[in-house]
Amino acid sequence: MMNRDIHLTAQDLLRAMQFKPGDFGEIAIVSGQPQRVQMALEKLKNPLRNFSAMGYTLWTGEYKGKRVTVGHGGMYAPDAALITELLCAGGVECLIRLGSCGAMKKDIEIGDYVIAEGAIRGDGVTRYYVKDGFQPKADPELTQKLFSLCKKHAHKGLVWTTDALLRETKDFVNGAIAQGAIAVDMVTSPFFTIAQLYNKRACAVLVVSDNLITGEIGFADIRVFDAERRLIERGFDLVREV
Amino acid sequence: MGKLEMIAHTKDGGGLTMRVLFLQPPLGWWAAWKKHIANNVAHAQLAANIREWYPEIEIKVLDTRALGMDEKQMVDAITELNPNLIYMGDALQTTGVAAIHPRYQQAAKVIKQVLPDVKICVGGFFYGANAPAMLEKTPEFDFVVAGETERTVPELAKELSKSDPDIPSVRGLAYRDENGEVKLTEYRPLIENLDDLPLPAYDLFPMDKYVGFNYIRHYVETYMTRGCPNGCRFCVGWTNYDPRGNHDWTHYRPRSPKLMADEMELLVKRFGAKFICMMDEDLNVYRERMEGLIEELKRRNLKVPFFFMGRAPYHLRDRDLLKPLREVGFVCGLFGMEAVDKETLEAIKKGTTVDEVAELVGLFRENNIMSVVTWMVGFPEDDEQRIKDRVERLDLMDPDMAALQILTPLPGIPLYKQLEPYTEEWNLLKWDFQHAVLRTKHLSRQDLGRLAAWANREFYSKPGRVQRILYDKRYHPFCRLIARVYVETAGKEHAQAAVEDKIFV
Ligand code: B12
Ligand code: SF4
Repeated sequence: MMNRDIHLTAQDLLRAMQFKPGDFGEIAIVSGQPQRVQMALEKLKNPLRNFSAMGYTLWTGEYKGKRVTVGHGGMYAPDAALITELLCAGGVECLIRLGSCGAMKKDIEIGDYVIAEGAIRGDGVTRYYVKDGFQPKADPELTQKLFSLCKKHAHKGLVWTTDALLRETKDFVNGAIAQGAIAVDMVTSPFFTIAQLYNKRACAVLVVSDNLITGEIGFADIRVFDAERRLIERGFDLVREV
Repeated sequence: MGKLEMIAHTKDGGGLTMRVLFLQPPLGWWAAWKKHIANNVAHAQLAANIREWYPEIEIKVLDTRALGMDEKQMVDAITELNPNLIYMGDALQTTGVAAIHPRYQQAAKVIKQVLPDVKICVGGFFYGANAPAMLEKTPEFDFVVAGETERTVPELAKELSKSDPDIPSVRGLAYRDENGEVKLTEYRPLIENLDDLPLPAYDLFPMDKYVGFNYIRHYVETYMTRGCPNGCRFCVGWTNYDPRGNHDWTHYRPRSPKLMADEMELLVKRFGAKFICMMDEDLNVYRERMEGLIEELKRRNLKVPFFFMGRAPYHLRDRDLLKPLREVGFVCGLFGMEAVDKETLEAIKKGTTVDEVAELVGLFRENNIMSVVTWMVGFPEDDEQRIKDRVERLDLMDPDMAALQILTPLPGIPLYKQLEPYTEEWNLLKWDFQHAVLRTKHLSRQDLGRLAAWANREFYSKPGRVQRILYDKRYHPFCRLIARVYVETAGKEHAQAAVEDKIFV
């Protein structure tokens, strides 16, 4: 039997990695896609790679006088939970996620943006953190700012986070729509949940790469590439305003 | 010899008026280039030659593709122009490879229905090596030029303007005698010095109408050298030349740097060219010429971005010239690899090594020059493993762009005889490098097309590469637009050609 309350805390893990307070900036911009991380990294002045473990790397540098951390924020709910918690425990105050999603409304097009106001918890990891009725929420002020920055092609609403990309079945999807979801991803629920637990401000903007209603697939569509590129700009525009 | 009185029009005073029309009939463009409407530089060169050598001949130009005309509008326009001789032909493979032929033939057919007396001549790419055979196959044509067109076409026009034309005296020409039998005149030797030719007569063409790679306006293609000393066995450059010559394709002839720069200056200052694509196959054979070009361009301070095709070994030999070349506008360059495994390189007699290509990609990138590597699939030995292995190596070299061509067995290339047994598709509209027209020993034609589409899509959907070629500002905006077309067409038009046999040219 284990007698300790918890095997590893975020602080334990950070310590084990010789992390020191101040290694992260006040603001973090995270993404699950290496190419987005790379493009974000190019915006930073004097970036220092001061966190890398388990295949996740984070750099901290300067943007318009502010210290900003960019890096890999997780691709699925479990790893997103891990990185989000490390960032929160490491002193980040404001978290911005640049992600992707599948749209669940007919009129949301490939290459549009979904700004998540909150998440519907279809994931498995958040139940380890919060009770059943908990509703993960984005920071309303950041979300509003993000929405006005992305205004053209932006849609605000709830994002359903699933663990099972290949089980986006009619029943699950329509169930999520009935609860108000306008898009699906695999990260946003733990991202908001953990930020809220740590009392941090978080927001998420997701590029639409496919549409579950129309069946359109745009994974390698130029509209997605272009939107992804602009996404980085909008993320940093937001940094100026926080 | 038949007398061709019909073509001579009588002028008011009884003299003869000869009107030659350079015609670009309705045709499309490569699937991977989206909308690409380039000037026909071969026409501009021939028009200039006629103007200089035979000023009494009237020159007319009709580029239906640039003007967006359909077949009927073309015929109406030609009726109005009332030419005696119509010429169609290209020097560049990039217009559509052999797919131009069915388009020319169709145009000739409808023109002859309305204007049965007009003479129609074709030449240049694809025809040059196959003149008698193509004339034999195409009753709609009256003449096919064998080999280089530059002197032959003007001389033909001149001869036709006489009341008693002596066609057999025009060297390098396939024609029909009075019994309708196809005859080939004597071999026409090559022009030794390209500087003897006037600059192409761009002023006769609708230069403001051309568009490159879907996005680039004020786009021009030039043709400043002839031939390539390498003589790769699969190279379609051979088809411009008469096989009776002594390996004419390998007889390399460049225009002098001064005249190259003169031409560029003219294009920029007079025609507002914003991007110059030098579409000749091998521009950088001689170091001194490249040095000369840099000097000339520097002195004139032209600042026009340009593209050229060269070979990797020459670029490596002149690696110190990449920086100055970039400074005078060299923003994007293409070099061939065609295949990346040693065995294939040897089989096709390509004197380039895999390492050289990789090294050059790096040097281009260091100098902010976008690299385009051409490569091929469809060699008889190709199987899925080989092709995928090739893709893997290409990916490791990581050029910015890869221009994939599917081996096409044009008559006139040295590999032709060897490839003939593998050919399965004879519709020339598909002979454009973007359709599979042959099988290999191990792959069906369909499998080859599918693998080509797969390879191209793999290349242009790689995270990191896509972002670099679309957005990295160290590359000139035009290069990023060209990349955009390739990314956009990779899963779509390119695949529709390679897998679904859809026609684009
Ligand atoms: C595998 C994968 C997943 C896996 C896991 C990821 C992993 N690394 O284990 C799972 C199933 C979890 C997944 C889920 C989702 N994914 Co996903 N995924 C991918 C995929 C196919 C590869 C990512 C990867 O591992 N790259 C790194 C490795 C090293 O690359 P690679 O193995 O060489 O793979 C290459 C090729 O095989 C090729 N490729 C592979 N599949 C395909 C498919 C097409 C159509 C094409 C053209 C190319 C291609 O591209 C890759 C890069 O060269 C990419 C597609 C892509 N082009 O990047 C999408 C991709 C990252 N996923 C995407 C999306 C939208 C999702 C989902 C939101 C889908 C949904 N509707 O629920 C979810 C949620 C993600 C989230 N974080 O919230 C988008 C992101 C949109 C964008 N361009 O910004 C991408 C780019 C494509 C896509 N739309 O599916 N994804
Ligand atoms: S190097 Fe290129 S242009 Fe020269 S012969 Fe070979 S393929 Fe043709």
